[in-house]
Amino acid sequence: MKFPTCLRFTGIRTAAAMLALFTATALAAAAQELRVATSYKLMTLDPHYSTLNENSSLLSHIYERLVYQDEHLNLQPGLATSWRRLSDTSWEFKLRENVRFHDGSPFTSDDVVYTIERIRNFLKPPSGGFQAYTKGIASVSAPDPLTVIIDTDGSQPTLPLSLSAIFIMHRDASGFATTEALNAGTALVGTGPYKFKSWRSGEILELTRNDDYWGDRPSWSEVKFRIVESPAARVAALSTGDVDIADFLPARDVEAIKQRGAKVESVPAARLNFLQFELAKEAAPGVTDKSGNTIPNPFRDQKVRQALSMAIDRGILVEKILSGFGTAAAQFFPNGLAGTSSNLTAQPPRYDEAKALLAEAGFPDGFKLVLNGPAGRYPGDGETLQAVAQSWARIGVSVQPVAVPFSVFNTKRGAGEYGVWYGGCSGESVDVCLEAVLASPDAESGAGALNYGQYRNPAFDEMLEKARALDVGPARDKALADVTDFVMKDQPIAPLYHFHHIFGYGERVGSYVMHPRGWTTAMQASPAAK
Amino acid sequence: MALLTTITGRLSQAFLLLLVMSLIGFIGIHSVGNPVYNVVNIETATPEDIRRATELLGLDQPLWRQYVVFVQNLATGSFGTSYIYHLPAFDLVLSKLPATLELAVGAIVIATIAGTGLGLLAVTRPGTLIDRIVVTATVFALSVPSFWLSMMLILAGAVMTGWFPPGGRGSTVEVLGGDWSFLTADGLKHLVLPTLALAIPNVALIARLARAGTVEVKKTDFVRFCIAKGLSGRRILFRHALPNISLPIITIVGLQFGGMLAFAVVVETIFAWPGVGKLLIDSIQLLDRPVVMATLTFISIAFVALNALVDLLYAVLDPRVRISA
Repeated sequence: MKFPTCLRFTGIRTAAAMLALFTATALAAAAQELRVATSYKLMTLDPHYSTLNENSSLLSHIYERLVYQDEHLNLQPGLATSWRRLSDTSWEFKLRENVRFHDGSPFTSDDVVYTIERIRNFLKPPSGGFQAYTKGIASVSAPDPLTVIIDTDGSQPTLPLSLSAIFIMHRDASGFATTEALNAGTALVGTGPYKFKSWRSGEILELTRNDDYWGDRPSWSEVKFRIVESPAARVAALSTGDVDIADFLPARDVEAIKQRGAKVESVPAARLNFLQFELAKEAAPGVTDKSGNTIPNPFRDQKVRQALSMAIDRGILVEKILSGFGTAAAQFFPNGLAGTSSNLTAQPPRYDEAKALLAEAGFPDGFKLVLNGPAGRYPGDGETLQAVAQSWARIGVSVQPVAVPFSVFNTKRGAGEYGVWYGGCSGESVDVCLEAVLASPDAESGAGALNYGQYRNPAFDEMLEKARALDVGPARDKALADVTDFVMKDQPIAPLYHFHHIFGYGERVGSYVMHPRGWTTAMQASPAAK
Repeated sequence: MALLTTITGRLSQAFLLLLVMSLIGFIGIHSVGNPVYNVVNIETATPEDIRRATELLGLDQPLWRQYVVFVQNLATGSFGTSYIYHLPAFDLVLSKLPATLELAVGAIVIATIAGTGLGLLAVTRPGTLIDRIVVTATVFALSVPSFWLSMMLILAGAVMTGWFPPGGRGSTVEVLGGDWSFLTADGLKHLVLPTLALAIPNVALIARLARAGTVEVKKTDFVRFCIAKGLSGRRILFRHALPNISLPIITIVGLQFGGMLAFAVVVETIFAWPGVGKLLIDSIQLLDRPVVMATLTFISIAFVALNALVDLLYAVLDPRVRISA
């Protein structure tokens, strides 16, 4: 079959022109769309169902908080423009004007009251976690549409910080919105920069730009989150340009990703992974002498804890196991963040000194222990157990590392079956971890929630309580740093590392601002300049 | 009457199977760990939070009572609410079904047609290069682990050539209450690699079965009689040999199809394919018991139904089965 030359030529030209046109429109449309592969599961659309990052990271597109934490963990005005303490037990929040919910109704103080009431009075467990942030609140009132007065039980100097966790919902005239209704995608209105479009649990979340947003115009017209739990699949999606951003990449794939032209950002996480010791029991589970006979709990001796911490090669952990995407740790948050101590820095291992300390404590020949930890929950968790085992072997402590799935680990740790184990703590500020991991456990106040080893130090408890009563600011930070200095001398835990969050982005994204709390949002990404 | 007995027998067997399966699943999940640690934020929750969540989920009750409650709820048609997603568990399974069905049906159709074709191609040319290639390639395809095969497909089909997306499910359209992706161009592109990853080992399996079956049948008297009678090779193959080798092939197709519905976990995970297998493995990891139980029940029913279907097809294909029944 042959066309006359001229006709064939026109045909090709038309096709080419149409193709060019098509490509141009496709590009113009695509330039505004952001596609993200995220590991965050997004289990529910109810913003008050669970405090896990898994939910709050993605829901922060739709809902906003009164106050939010910037990438230095400092508080910034969100839906509230300012806040002040009226008295020891009373706070006033001034709300932003001209903010509208996605359904067009104005945002007022009544919505704040509704939100706090919903968390306090309506939601029942297992939708837990958020009650912790409203626990100190005695009452909320709205004297005028742009003012909220919150009265607290006793002094709550960190109330704004607590509120930085709470998403504001719109008051539902027909009563409290149920989790089921929200999951069905109805009445899903917030004030955030992006509006809800569609969702399939554990699969995708689609958002569109909120053109009436009160702040700067959101950069992307459409945002599509694809939930991709396997890290290898996220790497593949980013390397082939199937997505523009992929979060939580494995450190070992970073070189390959860079070679394929994607950019990589990382930030030390505002968290710590550490080894924790059983301190309450007379005999620690899994700990015996070299021939397998039960011995009195060695961890109750401060010298043993110090020796064990001294004999950990943190350089190997961060350089080899985390491929450089980790920071050796000596305290809860990476040095430099608010409330950290500049006196504490990670030291290289000192095996001889550690061995001498062990001998002083009455264990010249060392002992045997089982080192427990989760597998695959945190970057480098399983391998860390192996590396620590090798380090400790050099001071005569023979270690059997045991890594199990996270849920199994939690069950056994909660049941007190472990003698020494690998744990993690994160939070919105450093005192959250100090209290959760090291304060004497107290069911009533909720202190010591992660203190599974039953570390009890009344002097520390008192210091921490005093520091936490101070207003947010340099004096509080200094006091928290001093508390950290004081307690780490006793070595109640052996800090290991702050792993880094590693994100990658393709050519359509100009920059991505990393957040130490590991959030993945479209707001952190700006489009590449054309 | 005989039919009725068969059906009642089948049903009571299925019921017993479901009962045993639910017991094993229930005890198994329980002994792995406490799901409450995946529901609350373990890095911030207080012991009080944990205790309240445990009570609300009914996990403070003894196991046998939890099981009784589960069976009671089941009698009212409810598998309970997912601990993690807070959605009705069986709805969650059903919502993943279209994704799994389109993957499994595609793979099994390819496997049956290509597998039988390759097997017959090889057997009609015994000892030739084609025969040897089929025999060697099928051994290779059967022995590579499916995660490696999936990785290689991603490497070749997505990373190096950019022909197909490396994972995920494409855009969907809603038909008959389900979201189907095979009806859109984007969806089809996304389907290619995972379907191949699931199909290739089965192509190999069926090709070997078809080849071996035909080799056996060729030696039988009736084929020799056909040859003596002067029938054409093609007529012998398709009219006489194929029905005789189809019984084992159908058995395998039925079994493998059931397996794909439930246990295509590796392929679904690597390709981030939101199917039933991935839901099952995720739910096991999160100890989301209602979803695990709903998925297991669904899978058991699917297997029982498929087996019944295969038996029915036996009767259609094999006159001896019809007569003895």
